[in-house]
Amino acid sequence: MTGAQAALDRVTRVPGVRGALVASAGDGLVVAEQLMDGVDGRAAAALAGSLVGRLVRTADGAGRRPPAFVQLRAERGSILAAPCPNDLVLIAVVGPDANVGLARLEMLDAAGRLD
Amino acid sequence: MTEDIRALTTRLAEEPGSLAFLELAEALRRRGQLDAAGKVARGGLSKYPGLAGAHDLMARILSDQGDLAGAFDAWADALRIDPMRTGALKGIAFLYFRAGDAAAAIEHLQRAAEADPDDESIAQALAKVRRESRSFSQRSVEPEPEPRPEPQPQPRPEAESRAEPIAPADPGSPFADMDGGRSLVLVDANGLRLAGSLPAPSGEETGDRVAAQLAGVSREAARATRLLGLGTWQSITLESSDGHFVLVRPTGETVLLAAREQSLPMARVVLLAERAARAARQWLEQVR
Amino acid sequence: MRSLEPWVELPLQTFLDESSARLTLLMTSSGQVVAQHGFSRSLDVMTAAALGAGIGASTDELARLMGSPRFEALVHHGPRQSCLLSGFSTPRGRWIGLVVFGPETTVGIVQLFFDQMVQQLAAVAPRDQPAAPALAENFEHELDASLKALFGR
Repeated sequence: MTGAQAALDRVTRVPGVRGALVASAGDGLVVAEQLMDGVDGRAAAALAGSLVGRLVRTADGAGRRPPAFVQLRAERGSILAAPCPNDLVLIAVVGPDANVGLARLEMLDAAGRLD
Repeated sequence: MTEDIRALTTRLAEEPGSLAFLELAEALRRRGQLDAAGKVARGGLSKYPGLAGAHDLMARILSDQGDLAGAFDAWADALRIDPMRTGALKGIAFLYFRAGDAAAAIEHLQRAAEADPDDESIAQALAKVRRESRSFSQRSVEPEPEPRPEPQPQPRPEAESRAEPIAPADPGSPFADMDGGRSLVLVDANGLRLAGSLPAPSGEETGDRVAAQLAGVSREAARATRLLGLGTWQSITLESSDGHFVLVRPTGETVLLAAREQSLPMARVVLLAERAARAARQWLEQVR
Repeated sequence: MRSLEPWVELPLQTFLDESSARLTLLMTSSGQVVAQHGFSRSLDVMTAAALGAGIGASTDELARLMGSPRFEALVHHGPRQSCLLSGFSTPRGRWIGLVVFGPETTVGIVQLFFDQMVQQLAAVAPRDQPAAPALAENFEHELDASLKALFGR
């Protein structure tokens, strides 16, 4: 099992996580994915990757360091993102009842190990 | 206000599963249309029984209608789902106080103060309950806290060497009583700063620059959640090694950014942002 | 944005709004231009269309030699700009899209919304008029008319 698959495995075991993927931050393309039905990995990689890039630039504009974890919360769930080394980003799509705290911990831990 | 209600009603009719029922029921409650507010809130609760905010709203409506027992049950439901929900803690504290149970009122207000230490109304309510109650339990009552010193503007010795001066506290801004709005920025749909300021750790003012970027962030967030089937976006939280950011939407056309140092738990920064968003909404209604 | 076919305008405009593409060219597989955005000179449009069609034909032949299904998309990454070349089927035949984009967007976003545009084009393309055959004696006239429409002259 590759590092990316191991990371996805841990994240998708968290209750409420509907899918997780590793994307190339600069390109917004999928590197690895583990998704349930109804989750468009390609769209998640492109859209979340683009948003995270914009948030990194916003943090930079505010004189702050890049974010280590991002949660975009919406009516019917959230998108979680943890930038990783080598221009990768770990992304999870979760439902409204997901254990976001646990998902965050797993993602931060996994993001640090991905290379 | 009537236009808001009309727009919210249309939105709810078009998207019956959306959370627009929260805003609509609250708007109706404020106008005193309690029966209508109750119907809307009940409809929303049937779809979102696990949403603490919906139970909190229902409790306020029932309290306004004089059904204090119903309000108590609804706030208790809100707290079962979200034990830190300050609205519910304050509401239940109010009911206990009315029932003459000062100890229980104080206990709930203390929990609310822990959840949101920046909320002055909680400190004021605690002082009032302690002052007006007839007896105190030794277990639950703490000595009268020291009055909080008024926040003083901090001198900034590096101000003269900066390229841009930090924006002074604007008494006309919605955040005048929130540390002068420092590290709070309210932005319109065009990326222009409406209020607040955002000094960088270096002291440089970055509010306008960040405001310009936030309009794009809001559009991207809206696109991402829409295309991924998650509905309307509500907030964005960013954690970094040198601070926390929270973005919320006080209205459909504005975005608010709250920034705090990393030592403050993210959940508290979220509460701060929500409080600032409420202040921003009220201020926008007044200036329009 | 200029288009010879009105039904192309809305899907193409949506793509441009979402992708932040700098230049876009839609053409038939024979290099006949259908719509363009961002080009300022007709010569550039003609050259890009000819080259794009040529690259499309080359990659089709390469796929055939490899015994592989047709390659749908090709991306060239550059230091300041990148380029996507993608063939797709429409009710009017096979078309090619050429998209040039900068660092303000990503290839993932461009491809995502390009594919959405292809779906929308397939949905809105009129089906009652078969594509007119390209006759040699009409070609110059059609090209001239196309260039006038694409550049608003």
